[in-house]
Amino acid sequence: MKKFLKTLIPFDIAKGLTITGTHFAKVFLSANRRKVPFHVVSEYPEVPAKMQPRFRGRLQMLKDEAGEIKCVCCLACEKICPTQVITIESGKKEGRKTKLPTRYDFEMERCIFCEFCVESCGFDAIILNHQFELAVYNREDMSLSMEGTFQNMFGVSPVAKFSVADEEK
Amino acid sequence: MFKNEEMEVNLGPQHPSTHGVLRVKLRLDGETIKHCTPVIGYLHRGVEKICENKTFFQGQVWTDRMDYCSAVANNLGWAEANEKLFGITVPRRAQYIRTMLNEFNRLASHLIWLATHALDIGAMTVFLYTFREREDILDINEAFCGSRLTTTALRIGGLREDLPPGFAKLVNKFLAKFPACLEEYENLLSENRIWKKRTVGVAKLNAEDAIALGVTGPVLRAAGVPYDIRKAFPYAAYAEMDFEVPTRTEADTYARYLVRLAEMRQSTRIIQQCMDGLPEGPVMAKIPKILRAEVNEVYHATEAPKGEIGYYLVGEKGSTNPYRFHVRAPGFINLQSLPKMVEGSLLADIVAAIGTLDIVLGEIDR
Repeated sequence: MKKFLKTLIPFDIAKGLTITGTHFAKVFLSANRRKVPFHVVSEYPEVPAKMQPRFRGRLQMLKDEAGEIKCVCCLACEKICPTQVITIESGKKEGRKTKLPTRYDFEMERCIFCEFCVESCGFDAIILNHQFELAVYNREDMSLSMEGTFQNMFGVSPVAKFSVADEEK
Repeated sequence: MFKNEEMEVNLGPQHPSTHGVLRVKLRLDGETIKHCTPVIGYLHRGVEKICENKTFFQGQVWTDRMDYCSAVANNLGWAEANEKLFGITVPRRAQYIRTMLNEFNRLASHLIWLATHALDIGAMTVFLYTFREREDILDINEAFCGSRLTTTALRIGGLREDLPPGFAKLVNKFLAKFPACLEEYENLLSENRIWKKRTVGVAKLNAEDAIALGVTGPVLRAAGVPYDIRKAFPYAAYAEMDFEVPTRTEADTYARYLVRLAEMRQSTRIIQQCMDGLPEGPVMAKIPKILRAEVNEVYHATEAPKGEIGYYLVGEKGSTNPYRFHVRAPGFINLQSLPKMVEGSLLADIVAAIGTLDIVLGEIDR
C-alpha cells in the first residue's frame, strides 16, 4: 500500500523540483536588484576576464630598465622545453658583456604552456603573461619571433583585447 | 514470416555517450545484447614511447594529458614513481599540499563523472549544478599552479612554489559551501524514480569477477571489496589522514553512484585535515639539476579517482630518460569488465554501464 502511494504521488519529483524551483526563484527575484552581481558566469567579452596571478599564458620576453633584452642565450629554456618550441641563435653586441639573442623563435602552435622554460631561466628574462586569447587568422602568425609586426615576443598580441588589463599592455 | 536474426551495431566512435572515441561492437538479438566488444585506440598518441625519449623532468607534461579530468592525480603518480627511482624524500609540507590538491582533483573528477553520467541517463539539471562547483575547483587549480586542466602542478622532489596568498580563503569558501551542494545532488537523484529505474540492478559486476578482471576504484568498492591504495599502501600524507573507505555490496550502477558520493564527502574531510594540519617548512627537496638514473626499476601505484594508476619505470645507467615507461591505466583495465556487465541486458543499459565505469579515453589509449 505504501509503495503504491509512493508510486502514485510523485514525492521524489516534487523534491527535485523544489531544488530547481528555489534556484530559479533566487535568481529571478534577485536579478538586477542587488548591487553585487549574483551571476555564476562572467560577462566576458564586455568585462575583461580576471586571471589568477599565476596564470600561464603566452611566452613573453622581458627587457630591463634600459631597454636591453634580459636574455643571455644560456639555452636553458630551449633544452628543458618538452615540445621543443624555442629556437635561439646567439650573437654579440658592442658594449654588452653577455651574449645577446639574434633570433628567438617561439612556435606557439606546439606550446603546451607548462612554464618549464620560465622555471629554468636563471635571469628572469622570460615570463608567461596573462594572455589567453591566442587565435590568429594565419598559421604563420602562430610562429613568433623577435621582429614581427603583428605580434612579437616583447608584447601582448593585439588579439588579446579582453584578457589583459590595460595597465599591463 | 518473422526471421530471428542477430544484428551487429557499432556504438561509437562518435557517439556522445561513449565519453570520447570509444567504439563498442554490439551483437544484438532484438534489444538484448548478445555480445559486446570494446574497440579502443582512436586516441592513441604513444605517450609511453614519447616519455622514453624525454628526460624524467619533461615526462610529466604527458601524464597531464592522459586522464585530463584528473591531471593532478596522474602527476602525483609520476612524481612519486620518480622519487622512488631516485630515492628522494619529499618535505612534509609538500606532501600535505600534494594530498590536498589530489583530493580536490578527485572531487573535480567525480563531479564531472556525475555530470556526464546523469546527462547520459537523462538528468540535465545535475550537469549544470556540478559544473558550477567544478568551476571553483578549477579556480583553485589556477590559483595554485596557473592552469586549470592540464595542471603540471607537481615537480619531482616536491612542488614548484608554495601556496599562493589567499589560497586558504578560496579553500575555506569552497569547503563551506560544498556539503550543501552534495546534498542538492542527492536530493535531485537518489530517490528520483527515473534515476532509480535506470540504475538499480543495472550493469552488475560481483566482487569475484571484479577481482578476476583487475578492476579497481569505486567499481570494485561498490562490489563490497574495501580496497583503496590510500589505505592499503599509504603514499603522500594519507597515512596521517583520518578517513573511511566507503563500500557497498549491491555491485550495481546505483551502488557505484552512492560510493562515489560518499567518497566526495571523505575527500572534503581530507582537505579539511590538510588545511588544519599544514606543517611549515620547505616545499622542494634538494635534487640535482639533471637526474641520471641507475640500473633500477620501480612500480608505483596510487589511487586515482578512477582506480589504481601505476607507473612502471626502468632506469638505465647514466641515462637522463627512462629506458622503459609503462602506465597501468585504471580506465583501460576497468573497461575490460564492460562485456561482463552488459551481456544479456538491454541496449539502453550499455550507456549506463559506460557512464558508471567513468572512462576517459585519453588514458585508455594513451
